[in-house]
Amino acid sequence: MKNLNLPFLILLLGAMLFNGCIKDDFIDDQIDPVLRFTSSLDTIEIDTEFQLEAMFLNNVGQEESPTLTWNSLDAEILSVDGTGLLRANSVGTTTISVSYETEEGILLSDQMDITVGATTIISIEEKSGTIRTTSSYTLEGTFTVQEIDGNLIIEVGEAWKASSNLPGLFIYLTNNPATTTDALEIGPVQVFNGAHRYEIPNVGINDWQYLLYFCKPFNIKVGDGEINN
Amino acid sequence: MKNISIIIFLVTIFSTSLFAGGPWPQKKGKGYFKLAEWWVIFDQHYTDNGKIDPNVTSGIFNTTLYAEYGFTDRLTGIINAPIFSRNYNNNLVSNTTKEILVPGEAYNGIGDFDLGLKYGITQPGAKIPVALTLTLGLPTGKSVAGELQNLQTGDGEFNQLLQVDAGTGFKLGKTSAYVSAYTGVNNRTKGFSDEFRFGLEAGVGLANEKFWLTARLLGVESFKNGDTAETTTSTSIFANNSEFTSIGVEGSYYITKKVGVSVSATGAFRGEIIAAAPSYSVGVFLDLSK
Repeated sequence: MKNLNLPFLILLLGAMLFNGCIKDDFIDDQIDPVLRFTSSLDTIEIDTEFQLEAMFLNNVGQEESPTLTWNSLDAEILSVDGTGLLRANSVGTTTISVSYETEEGILLSDQMDITVGATTIISIEEKSGTIRTTSSYTLEGTFTVQEIDGNLIIEVGEAWKASSNLPGLFIYLTNNPATTTDALEIGPVQVFNGAHRYEIPNVGINDWQYLLYFCKPFNIKVGDGEINN
Repeated sequence: MKNISIIIFLVTIFSTSLFAGGPWPQKKGKGYFKLAEWWVIFDQHYTDNGKIDPNVTSGIFNTTLYAEYGFTDRLTGIINAPIFSRNYNNNLVSNTTKEILVPGEAYNGIGDFDLGLKYGITQPGAKIPVALTLTLGLPTGKSVAGELQNLQTGDGEFNQLLQVDAGTGFKLGKTSAYVSAYTGVNNRTKGFSDEFRFGLEAGVGLANEKFWLTARLLGVESFKNGDTAETTTSTSIFANNSEFTSIGVEGSYYITKKVGVSVSATGAFRGEIIAAAPSYSVGVFLDLSK
């Protein structure tokens, strides 16, 4: 049996060499930085205050909290301080803007028209989008998004169709459609044909920019849907 | 709730296929024993419509003991035992920040053992021998492991494969050669689809039969009669209906009359829900059949 020694050693050495190599897979996750309002306000009651909120997302979709610049086009109607606190001074409509210049010198801004009136009215928005496959698996449909009582309601339409052969298909809300990092996991997809609905508590309509469909076991994107105004 | 786990890339089938065996039972008291290292590393897979998509790089390594032993001249016992199995996934890293987005993971354990009995339907020495083989696939491996529960060393189900092998040996000039074929049905449990399996094998003995070169065509076709993510009541990660057609080559070199080494490579050229990458094997064997 002496002849077995060398092959056994080679085999063992081979096994040791091969058995332990977790390496790195790189994904291209760069996106354009974004600054946007997360508050929805249509009308503010005169002589009251309202705290506006805005969100800055960096080049990988992660939220950062830099110092933002707030501005009112007509401070006699609406004034705003450095934290986004609005003060309704006189009846009328004006534009409030928020801006930020990134370290790379990119100027980002968002703006909205707000009216000063008799009562405060939070605008009720509905957004929508189209789900598309980014893989060879079937994934298609349309959806609408609404914020009701602080919860986000996602209604996927009747045309929804997805492959049920895909292992571990999960749905997320994300600001970077390339990755689930910093995303909000809604859960596994359990309806593969037809209309269905998700209700996500304590999520605002402006908090997330994309639906993301992800094969969780293999960390690979399958499809997405941008949430459009 | 059914305990259904992922069975993605037919590790067991690929690795078992290295030991096809043919229609020749061992003679009474004779045997064939092999220690092999089998592995596949893949960063893409065949999807459910046969196209190729990327996935995070995964690796599976099996250290396997294989043995055939003749209880009688017509009845052979077979065991295929992955005594060490390792499954890992790579880190997923941001190309922008170079940060690890999803850490890689690995799991080490034993794989799914196969126990088989091969019975020679024809008399020993028949010109075209035919054998019937029953293989029991035991769920001895781990079907769900890792933080993301996406690692496995087994499929978590018990299955029974009944197959018929036929073949013949002949001479090509002064060179020994053989061809064999098999067909079988694999009955699977726990919601997995049953399978039709087939294979063709041809080998030639070169250098005074010190070196055997073998080529194989193997196929698995799913009956697609099991559960899918849509129909299962489980919320576990679940994939089913894997199938493939593969080709492979193996070289076996006898260092002595009974001891040798082997090297093989196998790859699927079509498939569904299966790795789109070749698998490899190296091994040492002890052939006491002569």
